[in-house]
Amino acid sequence: MDRSKETVSTLGRMPSTRRHWSRAALLTSVGLMLAGCANNAPQDIFEPKGENSKKIDTLQRPVFYIAGVVALIVIGVVGYAMWKFKDRGQDIPEQTHGNPKLEIALTILPAIILAGISVPTVITVFQLDKKTDAECIINVTGQQWWWEYDYATGQCGDVKIDKPIVTAGELVIPEKTNVLLRITSRDVIHSYWIPALNGKRDAVPGRLHTLRMQADQPGIYTGQCTEFCGLSHSRMRQAAVALTAGDFQKWVDNQMKDYVAPEAGSLAAEGEAVFTANCSKCHQINDLKNADGSPVLSEPDLYVVPGVAPNLSHLMNRTAFAGWTFDLLTDECRVKLWNAKPADFGAMYLKGITPECFEQVALRDWLRNPPGMKPMFVDPNNLSSTGGKYRGMPNLNLKPDQIDQLIAYLLGRN
Amino acid sequence: MFTTGSKLFLGATALSIVSAIVFGASVGGSAGMLGTIGLISVSVVFAFLAGINLFTRDGNLAATESDVERNAAAAQAGVGRSMWPLAAALGAGGLVVGTISKPVVFKVSFIVLLAAAAEWMVQGFSERVSADSKYNEGIRKRLLHPLEFPLLASVGAAVFIYSFSRIMLNIDKDAGRWVFMVIGAIITAVGFVFAAKRGMGKSTVAGIITVGALALVGVGIASAVSGQHPIEPHPAATAAVCLGTASEVQIEEVDAKASQSVAAKSNPLANVYLTSDEQLYALNTGIGNVQYHEITVPRSNAVHVLFHNDSAEPRRLTVHLGTFKAKDGSEGSEEAECTTALEKGGTAFLSFKINKSQLASSTPYRLTVPGVEDQEIKLLVP
Repeated sequence: MDRSKETVSTLGRMPSTRRHWSRAALLTSVGLMLAGCANNAPQDIFEPKGENSKKIDTLQRPVFYIAGVVALIVIGVVGYAMWKFKDRGQDIPEQTHGNPKLEIALTILPAIILAGISVPTVITVFQLDKKTDAECIINVTGQQWWWEYDYATGQCGDVKIDKPIVTAGELVIPEKTNVLLRITSRDVIHSYWIPALNGKRDAVPGRLHTLRMQADQPGIYTGQCTEFCGLSHSRMRQAAVALTAGDFQKWVDNQMKDYVAPEAGSLAAEGEAVFTANCSKCHQINDLKNADGSPVLSEPDLYVVPGVAPNLSHLMNRTAFAGWTFDLLTDECRVKLWNAKPADFGAMYLKGITPECFEQVALRDWLRNPPGMKPMFVDPNNLSSTGGKYRGMPNLNLKPDQIDQLIAYLLGRN
Repeated sequence: MFTTGSKLFLGATALSIVSAIVFGASVGGSAGMLGTIGLISVSVVFAFLAGINLFTRDGNLAATESDVERNAAAAQAGVGRSMWPLAAALGAGGLVVGTISKPVVFKVSFIVLLAAAAEWMVQGFSERVSADSKYNEGIRKRLLHPLEFPLLASVGAAVFIYSFSRIMLNIDKDAGRWVFMVIGAIITAVGFVFAAKRGMGKSTVAGIITVGALALVGVGIASAVSGQHPIEPHPAATAAVCLGTASEVQIEEVDAKASQSVAAKSNPLANVYLTSDEQLYALNTGIGNVQYHEITVPRSNAVHVLFHNDSAEPRRLTVHLGTFKAKDGSEGSEEAECTTALEKGGTAFLSFKINKSQLASSTPYRLTVPGVEDQEIKLLVP
């Protein structure tokens, strides 16, 4: 930079070059701050939608305000000192050491503030950790790179669950119900987080952690894994769907209904055969039978590291797949569902994926080459460290007509 | 005419020739022949060296050639003795040995070779930086101390820890407590003395610490040579023990000697209670006081249940893990795991994992208490 071109506009003012830098820094800071603003931010922690997240919000807002005020005071005082005592060639002032009164005051004041904050913090921590008043328990298991939910038998709010329900990606819960998630992992550490409904909870292999979940009203609440867990960590997403008690009953009934085989000779029936021959090694569809009438039993423990793969019995009752990353709904239908009024949400959600709302492209691409859509550890020539097991779904090299058949078959899994 | 060095070698030449004549004349046979040839060879070598000394005038310079004397290589400060060629040779040798023996030998040798190469290189460079050997040494220290100190400290700490670990492995757990207490007390006492006697010399402090460190390393080496104290293996709770089909002796051995030092850092999936009137039920973690007789267990997942025995009899909790067909198609035997038998009021964790759907097993997954009839908790594995 040619310093000779630097000009001083008036005495005592900043040189123009430095002023330009100051403006650039100010604009950058404001820009960064404004980047945090959005009117469509489903994972905004400042918009709690449930009892537990509201408790966190009630705690964090005053703490945030107090911390903000303290930060402003500190920045202001430091800034004032920098400006006031700037080196202008004056004599070095008298040096002092130690000011007991000031030091005691500056120790006691933060201690009082911290003690004040600790009381509601500890109360909130214990409230959020309570695990004896749940009205519904759901086991949540993370694995690379998706979440599995299995509903324990017994009461779930007002609804009785007679046999285990296993689903993936989308957690369906009754509204206004204390749900307790029992979270663990089958491979590495993950972290479960639905910001609108509660804070985060780590999913640790071999350990069971609990997380309370409650939604005030029907709707879809999104989240994502927040502990780096490998190649597709960013594509390990999840959602909680809250339904009214009546709608939740319908959802449960649908999950427990008997398997409906596709019509003989149809494209879907051919898809069932393709599924049985290829996909059922890992993916379970409840009550699917072999030609001899024996049950088709998946054995994912033989093929994939976590020992499970998503249960696809009711795939078309979910709105996304593959770690809740790719839409099963068209954009138009998704926007309608997400923006539905709470009173209308349940009915729309329970329709599932109808043919007119079915976004086929992503599912077709997935069936054609899963690792091409989502990075996974599935190179068959590089599995020595896992004993030949995959982390994720490998490319099954399905032919186009097999994909057509599978799409037709899966569209009936609702 | 003859220089000092040449006189020495000429004398040695003459001596070896005389020796060859005397040896050849006095010792017969092939030994005499070989000895004579050897001594003649020695005399030839001495004669050659004498010739060189004569030619170079013993390497002495004339007094008038003082500039040459000052600038000659021999006049410069000699390079320091170096152990790095030896270390590098050891590293290279170890590298070769490591390729055919153990990978750890190869890795350690590689590190030694790298370290020796770096040290040798820097030493070689620093000794030629200037004619001032102190300055050169300073350069070497500036370059290598930032590497050497952390490395040596790490190695020292490793030796210290390893020695201590060998000692702890050598003694039994009761002695271990005492060793910990005594060593801790000694360190505290010595620290107290150091703190109290401020005037104590550095060399005294260093000496005491060195003696302590050497003692630790010495005892550590002795312990390593002596080996690890015997560890009695805990008998495993086999399916036969859990299902009550094993012999009384086997069952008693498991109950008496099984490891019971499991630390529970996880929430259990459920608490399983056997009441005083021998009723079995489970409380699902999360639900208050609803008694369950079936619990849902995630597939392929480590599951922990906490068993509480309130029965007057010693009881164990057994998990039935199914019966599967063998690879040859034959029916296998039922798999099971269990806790040890617990006295009244006892609790124990039971951890298990079920990989297959219930449909894959010809027997149900369930929790039972051997000896208690008609009581079970079904395990639902979706």
